[in-house]
Amino acid sequence: MTEPRAWNSRVDDLLTRLSCDSLVEPVGLEHVRTQLLAVATAIGESASPEAQSCADRIRLLSLDLTAAQIGRTVEETLAGWEAIKGGDVPRDVTRAGIPPAPAPAPAAVVPDDELATLASDPEMAGMFVTEALDHLGTIESAVLLLEITPGDTKLLNEVFRPFHTIKGNAGALGVATVQELAHKVENLLDLARSGKHAMGPDEFDVVLKAVDLLTLMIQELPERVSGGAASDVTARREALMDEVDALIAGRPSVKTGAVSDSAPPPVAQAPGDDPGGRTQWRQDDIAQSTVKVDTRKLDNLVDMVGELVIAQSILAEDPALTKSADERLGRRLSQLKRITSELQRNAMSMRMMPIRQTFQKMARLVRDLSKKSGKNIELVLQGEETELDRKVVADINDPLMHMVRNSVDHGIEKADVRAAAGKPAQAVLKLSAYHQAGHIVVEISDDGAGLNTEKILAKAVAQGMVDEGTVMAPADINQLIFQPGFSTADTITEISGRGVGLDVVRRNVDALRGRIDIQTTRGIGTTFSIRLPLTLAIVDGILLGVGAERFVIPTFAVRESLRPTPGQVHSVHGRECMIQVRERLIPILHIGEAFGVAGARQEITSGTVVVIEDSGHPVALVVDELLGKQEVVIKSLGDTFQRVRGVTGGAILGDGRIGLILDAGGLVAMMGKHTMRPAA
Amino acid sequence: MMDAMMAGEEVGAQAKGASSAMAGKYLTFALGAEEYGLPVLKVREIIKVMDITQVPQVPGHVRGVINLRGKVIPVIDLRLKFGFPSQDYTERTCIIVVDVALSGVKVMMGIVVDSVSEVLNVAPAEIDHAPEFGDRVTTDYILALAKVKGTVKILLDLDRVLGADEHLAGRVF
Repeated sequence: MTEPRAWNSRVDDLLTRLSCDSLVEPVGLEHVRTQLLAVATAIGESASPEAQSCADRIRLLSLDLTAAQIGRTVEETLAGWEAIKGGDVPRDVTRAGIPPAPAPAPAAVVPDDELATLASDPEMAGMFVTEALDHLGTIESAVLLLEITPGDTKLLNEVFRPFHTIKGNAGALGVATVQELAHKVENLLDLARSGKHAMGPDEFDVVLKAVDLLTLMIQELPERVSGGAASDVTARREALMDEVDALIAGRPSVKTGAVSDSAPPPVAQAPGDDPGGRTQWRQDDIAQSTVKVDTRKLDNLVDMVGELVIAQSILAEDPALTKSADERLGRRLSQLKRITSELQRNAMSMRMMPIRQTFQKMARLVRDLSKKSGKNIELVLQGEETELDRKVVADINDPLMHMVRNSVDHGIEKADVRAAAGKPAQAVLKLSAYHQAGHIVVEISDDGAGLNTEKILAKAVAQGMVDEGTVMAPADINQLIFQPGFSTADTITEISGRGVGLDVVRRNVDALRGRIDIQTTRGIGTTFSIRLPLTLAIVDGILLGVGAERFVIPTFAVRESLRPTPGQVHSVHGRECMIQVRERLIPILHIGEAFGVAGARQEITSGTVVVIEDSGHPVALVVDELLGKQEVVIKSLGDTFQRVRGVTGGAILGDGRIGLILDAGGLVAMMGKHTMRPAA
Repeated sequence: MMDAMMAGEEVGAQAKGASSAMAGKYLTFALGAEEYGLPVLKVREIIKVMDITQVPQVPGHVRGVINLRGKVIPVIDLRLKFGFPSQDYTERTCIIVVDVALSGVKVMMGIVVDSVSEVLNVAPAEIDHAPEFGDRVTTDYILALAKVKGTVKILLDLDRVLGADEHLAGRVF
């Protein structure tokens, strides 16, 4: 092209700004008009006649601009722009996510050609994938809400808009297959928006199916770009597009709202049941302005802030300073401490995100499961705004899914059984999340049959997990369902019952330093409570001194600490191995001995005993002394020490040395089985 | 050139080519009366011995972990690893922080040595492949021997030396 580059980049700038502005809602019509005129003027500066006519067209369009036309106008502007610009100018405009010119003949594009643009700019490709997946998530939750109130045009817009954006971005990047499918669905939604097509159950199904397929296609894009294999979705895609076409053709001009009395889907909450909690967040989402940051950068920041806090406490403990009588210096130091801890709190909060997204995925799951199993289930969500560490949010997804499946399949009875028990036909599955004493608790609660403790024990005996005649507390028996290979289901269904699942749940929850409790009543229902730490990065701990070493035990595991009297310590075969605390005999674990620490006090009565508890099993740790309470940043010890038991990681202490963080679960397990051996 | 040098397969190959591939810069250090060398490209830094936090249930030559400016890294005592008698740390005792590849993953580790000597440029002509010493000495992780200025330096294949300590905690059980 002969156009000067400065001119090109100016138009690019203007278009980028326009697209940015149009993404931020609401955009004033006047604003868009001004911007468009500026673009027209910029294009008009070019000498070429094509540019002049394009500029004229933009001016015309900007004059009879109406709200509904904004999107189209921008597209056409770009179409004109792309046409003048030709192929040799970098397609920077597309970076801004502006809905670009609709590709004229997407069907003609050979699938692999569509990866060329993505391959040439991996960064942009990555952004497209994350954004599109984000949008698909938004669409899904909006569709689920729309099912309840099909007449809500605002919700409909919330479904429509992200589809439009995905289509636009996919088009800009030349991913024709995605663009085509998104375009088809967008057409359907556009008809619904303008009242020319009513959204019914079939429409919702199609849109959800499209969301699934698009998610799959977009997720696989990076794989395809790097030459990997991907699922062949051509048939699914075409079938789905035909379905959309059939829907559009089949029901022309039915007024929206005419079907609003159609039966709400089973998952849906009855309208008016909890409208506040459900609709509130949508408005919040729009109101909040957010920035996307690479998670690695964020983690790095959090790490560095952790270091800063440690450096600050090293400084504060420096003898040169502690001995100083200078009051001003002391004030300044405590000011520094305030700032660093505030900074730390802020940095940590950046890693937190609400559990909402995960819960909404469960809403979809319950909807599908309930259709598949023919059970009528109402899903109640509570505490969706509860925030937790984003890694926990990601890792809790699978266990939660298993638990929901389990509850639907095993917990909730079939309709006839419920009727016989005099229960309401619609079962209630409740997912809730809340904070409790430095933990977050996620509960899955159903009003189903409850756990059959005798049956579980019988099955466990039959499967050789438990010796016959073993006497176990009901709570311990119930925990057996988390053993690998355990299943009480008499029939294997499509949903669950293959004996795969709950042990995975337990493993995942263990890995998050969480635990699962079960409360169940026969005939009334079961509640699984998953208790998780708020964050994986920091733990509130008690510092223990053993010899020259120091250990950290997470505060939540500690029940009490005491200085034992000789009368409290009992021995078996000459070895002191139990301590009596009130009426309870608690096994002793001598940390110095178990971990081979040199210089640890041998006499139990001269040391301190810290009673910890995990899953109801107490252990009395014998240490030299308690050194105080401290929040510590948890650092992994790395693969090398992956399988060291009783230790979850290391913490850098005030003096810069490392203290090992003890793992209550591991210590209890060490007591249970005699797997401990001294270091080689 | 350095990359090829590190490939363990080259060890023991009698070909002259292997010798020239193994030539290059080595950081030499002492263990007892013996001199060892490791490729400088593997070395991140050398630090004075600091407080090491011991970790339970691991073999004795794994001294524990240290805090390297906020990073927790494992420390191996090469003396104990190679079966030398234990010895108190002195002023000259150093921790060499190295990058090793353990099953393809790059990790940082510290190795405790008696003292660090120098960086040595080893010429191809000075390189000798490691002979077999029979059962008495394991030569698995010896890259080659270098005869420099009348002394013999044992060039180590660090990935192999420390590779054996991967997941070492798991072995105890």
